[in-house]
Amino acid sequence: MTVIGTTPPPRLPVRDRSAAHEGAGGLSPMLTRLAAERATGVLVREHGSLHLADGEVVHAESPHAPGFDVLLTTHGTLDATTWQEALAQTGSKSGAVRLVVDRGRLTAGALELCHLGALFDAAYFALAPSSTPGRFRYGGGHQPGTVRPVTVDVMERETLRRRELLRRVWPDPLADSAPLIRVAPAAAPAVTARQSAVLTLVNGVRTATDIARELGRQAFHTLVDVRRLAAAGLVAPQPPPVRVSPPVPAVLSVSDPDITLLKRLRDALEAL
Amino acid sequence: MPGIDECLLEAMRLPGARGAALVDWTSGLALGVVGESPGGDHEAAAVEAAELARLAAEHRAFAPGDGGALGGATALPVEDLILSNRDSYHLLRFVPTPFDSSVFLHVWLARAEGNLALARIRLGEMAGRLVLA
Repeated sequence: MTVIGTTPPPRLPVRDRSAAHEGAGGLSPMLTRLAAERATGVLVREHGSLHLADGEVVHAESPHAPGFDVLLTTHGTLDATTWQEALAQTGSKSGAVRLVVDRGRLTAGALELCHLGALFDAAYFALAPSSTPGRFRYGGGHQPGTVRPVTVDVMERETLRRRELLRRVWPDPLADSAPLIRVAPAAAPAVTARQSAVLTLVNGVRTATDIARELGRQAFHTLVDVRRLAAAGLVAPQPPPVRVSPPVPAVLSVSDPDITLLKRLRDALEAL
Repeated sequence: MPGIDECLLEAMRLPGARGAALVDWTSGLALGVVGESPGGDHEAAAVEAAELARLAAEHRAFAPGDGGALGGATALPVEDLILSNRDSYHLLRFVPTPFDSSVFLHVWLARAEGNLALARIRLGEMAGRLVLA
């Protein structure tokens, strides 16, 4: 007896999104590759940059997160003059921070705590979904101020966990970036001391990032409180101003499938 | 001057110490871990301990009589938390920092060998030395 079977068609190469998000590398295939090749240099993404040394993250910066110098000087841990002097003397932030530790103005523990906090904080924004591909500049551009390097794997896992944490508190991300306004709910719930510090700075102009900088507090910590306050109905993102400009011509309008296609194209290019 | 690792290794010298961690209670991030982890996963343990610490730090019922208002913007409303079960103690010590942060030291002690009173005093000293010059 002969069994006649047809060869099943080969499966189309579909990108497995769930798998990509579970393991490391779900955030930036480029970063995963750089970690694998133990690269040294700076990865510049739309919302911030990551400094790598031997494939590990040693420093991160983002316009959305206050740097560790802001965290240290806001509450007078370091007075601004001491900091400016150290900065002028050494020429770099990391050099300056070493100098103040050596002079006993700051303990090693405080420096590590503050630096690590600021590193994860800035990385959270740097690894946020972006609309442009990242660029990597190879080279030992990083200053010798490595405090505690963090592996890419740990960094990506933490960033994903933070996204999920915020989503569980309040699913609307608009409050993260828009100017915030105060809302007076009928029955105002009690706020914590840290939340009330945030709440007093909400004035219809400041964004969560501005508030973080003003408080000398990590931006992600501020986002957690902002989303809690939003969930409690105490703050809301400023509604966008009503547009008086003529409507955008239809030629420029994009529909979702186009964006999806472009994002897939970008992902594929990054993964090359 | 001690850094995070030196501080955690010092905590591990407490009688009965099984594991120690420095955790951020807003994000649940473990900034440093040494030894075993309760439940077998350092990251998960940090998230769970952070949840407990956050409740203690934020609820008015646990704050001192002045509501925590005295002592400045970075003052802590709670010093430490003690949790015991059949075979172990957990001691969570809030770390006072001169800058804005939300971190605590978490030490896990075997109940048979652990000395809670001693651990509480030592951990308080370690928390102070970690950040205060």
